[in-house]
Amino acid sequence: MKNNLFKYFLILAFLFQIDTFAEERNYHKELITDWSRIFPDKNRNAAGPKFFKYIIDKKITYKDFIEFNKLYCAVSGSLIDPRSDSEFLFVKESKTNNKICGNYYRCCVPCSCDVMKYSEVQKMRYEFTDGLQEFYVITIKNPCNKSDFPNRVNKDYFCEGKNINSKQVYNLNNRIVIGLLHNGRSCKNSDIDLVKSHQVTGEYCELRNNTPLEQLDAGMGDIFIKLAR
Amino acid sequence: MFIKKISLLNKFLIILFFILSINNSKAEFFKDISNIIDSNESRLSYGVSVTDTNMDGNYEFVVTGFGYSNLALTYVEGKLKNIIKEDIFLDQSRKTIGVAACDIDKDGFEEIYFLNTDTYSGIKKYSDRLIDKKNNNYFDLFELKKNKENLNLTAGRSVVCVDRKGDGQYGIYVANYGGPTRFYEIKNKKIIDQAENLNLNKVTGGRAVVSGHILTDRADIFAANERGANFLLKNIDGKFKDVAFDYRVDDEIQNGRGTALSDIFYRGRLDILSGNWLGYHRAYVLENNEFKDIGNTEFDKPSRIRTVISADFDNDGFDEVFMNNIAEPNKMFRIKNNGKFEEIKLEAGLEADGFGTGAAVADIDNDGILELLISHGESKAQPLTLYKAKVEKKSKYLRIKPINKFGAPARGATVTLISNKRKHSKTIDAGSGYLCQMEPVAHYGIRKNEKDFRVEIKWTNGKINFIDKIELNQTITINQK
Repeated sequence: MKNNLFKYFLILAFLFQIDTFAEERNYHKELITDWSRIFPDKNRNAAGPKFFKYIIDKKITYKDFIEFNKLYCAVSGSLIDPRSDSEFLFVKESKTNNKICGNYYRCCVPCSCDVMKYSEVQKMRYEFTDGLQEFYVITIKNPCNKSDFPNRVNKDYFCEGKNINSKQVYNLNNRIVIGLLHNGRSCKNSDIDLVKSHQVTGEYCELRNNTPLEQLDAGMGDIFIKLAR
Repeated sequence: MFIKKISLLNKFLIILFFILSINNSKAEFFKDISNIIDSNESRLSYGVSVTDTNMDGNYEFVVTGFGYSNLALTYVEGKLKNIIKEDIFLDQSRKTIGVAACDIDKDGFEEIYFLNTDTYSGIKKYSDRLIDKKNNNYFDLFELKKNKENLNLTAGRSVVCVDRKGDGQYGIYVANYGGPTRFYEIKNKKIIDQAENLNLNKVTGGRAVVSGHILTDRADIFAANERGANFLLKNIDGKFKDVAFDYRVDDEIQNGRGTALSDIFYRGRLDILSGNWLGYHRAYVLENNEFKDIGNTEFDKPSRIRTVISADFDNDGFDEVFMNNIAEPNKMFRIKNNGKFEEIKLEAGLEADGFGTGAAVADIDNDGILELLISHGESKAQPLTLYKAKVEKKSKYLRIKPINKFGAPARGATVTLISNKRKHSKTIDAGSGYLCQMEPVAHYGIRKNEKDFRVEIKWTNGKINFIDKIELNQTITINQK
């Protein structure tokens, strides 16, 4: 009994010390600290791909990868408050044309609509420090040939001539990866119903996605759409 | 048998409770001595500086007034009393926010720069004042005809004194907001703005600024800015080059506020504490030509930060970091060895309803313990508050007061206490906190079993002197030769 109590005491004291000194990784702070490294010209317009590339180039675990990718908006390039909730939505898969459902972390609601309409997802496999993982990433087609490439976006971030600039953004099957679709999976009928009946992904997105480009004045306006359409 | 088990269990629980109690103990750190402030009425104040306004060898707290009088509070007969009544100093009609004092004309008297701000950003109506003293009368150098072409008519925040050439002639860096930074010096008896010549005339949202031996053996500058990257201005032969990006202190998307120089690792060099408004506070330590932020999650927690002060309030030989928040409780951390920040729970000094706008430390009553003066204002008029740490009776201290060759405080010099326990550098404050400036003395509490003391003084020209054979519990004045 005495021995056992002593052991319990040691274990508790040890756990207490761990609790006192343990420091959780602050992903948001890391992105803030490195912001000027990610965007040396200070232009983050539609630059979700820059965040994605910066994150995946780090030597990190899969958990770190997931957490980092909750903290920026793939459409706008804005940082997101760590306390923000995600939007449940679907995006078309490039290879199958099937709807893939998942969670999207966005800075504001119009970005959810833009991602649903103008992007596609692809399955991606990647070796993290703790093993190989497969997940769905959100992509846009190569914009480098566009005659109307939006002038408020830094083209050098995305393009090297008419090709995707793989040093700056992640190129997956000649599409640019703009972010991660969290918890991605094939949609069930009930998922699709849920998305379509939701106040944002249903009603609002239908309105936004049927509004002529020149009349858009919310979210990133027409910047991302011009880049991604 | 059963009783024996219960008894063992009780012992175990008692020990556990004891350990938890030690870890969560809240011995009161400060005592509130605000009652010694004479005529302490509610007012709108901002920056506080510490300088000797009457050249009597004792320092005064110079407290700015925002539409209220500027004050020079000295300790006399157990009270803090305002000793300056002259209108040009009181200047009740102007809105003073930043303040710093230093000897810009090499006569040994520290001129006082009052930064006035009547607008948030851009062009302002009333210029700043640079108070000098002649024949026992105060006057504003900017009111002299020859100086009127160089008035600062841009909104600003903090000011810092910079002996950029190491020759004892101070210039004043003015962190403007929405207009170019200014750097005032006296040349041919006239105030001129040298900012353009020195690569300092950038436009930003200037907030806080410190100067000292950060990177070189001369006065470097760190400026914490808002809506733009911070500046880390490396002194290269008296001119400046911004290396904030290279050294990773640019913190581009945060909004800088209080900042201070602090030897976070007790390793004999000055690193940087930088508070960010509702952002992550930084504890930057230099490693391999880059600053690394080592603040833990309690330290870096976003708050409505204003002034940041690093000082040993309780004379235990470890510096505390006081974080003055506006309309939010203040915070205090002790910097333990290896850069570990340990929170000290405040009761006195917490000021949960305080609208703190500035703060400064000085041993105003010359008893070997620092006093902390906090000013308040902005959106609510409040009186000043004054605190003194509760120190152990056996505690000891050592204060080093470097005086430059012109007889003025050697602001920007670095003092290092070397002992069997630490190599601990402190800056002779040239301007810090936020809008503020601390006393120009390196104040050290002494650790338990600490011995073999030696003091190194690195002057603003980079030259070094040592003091050996040190007796504790005194202020040692060392004059530059």
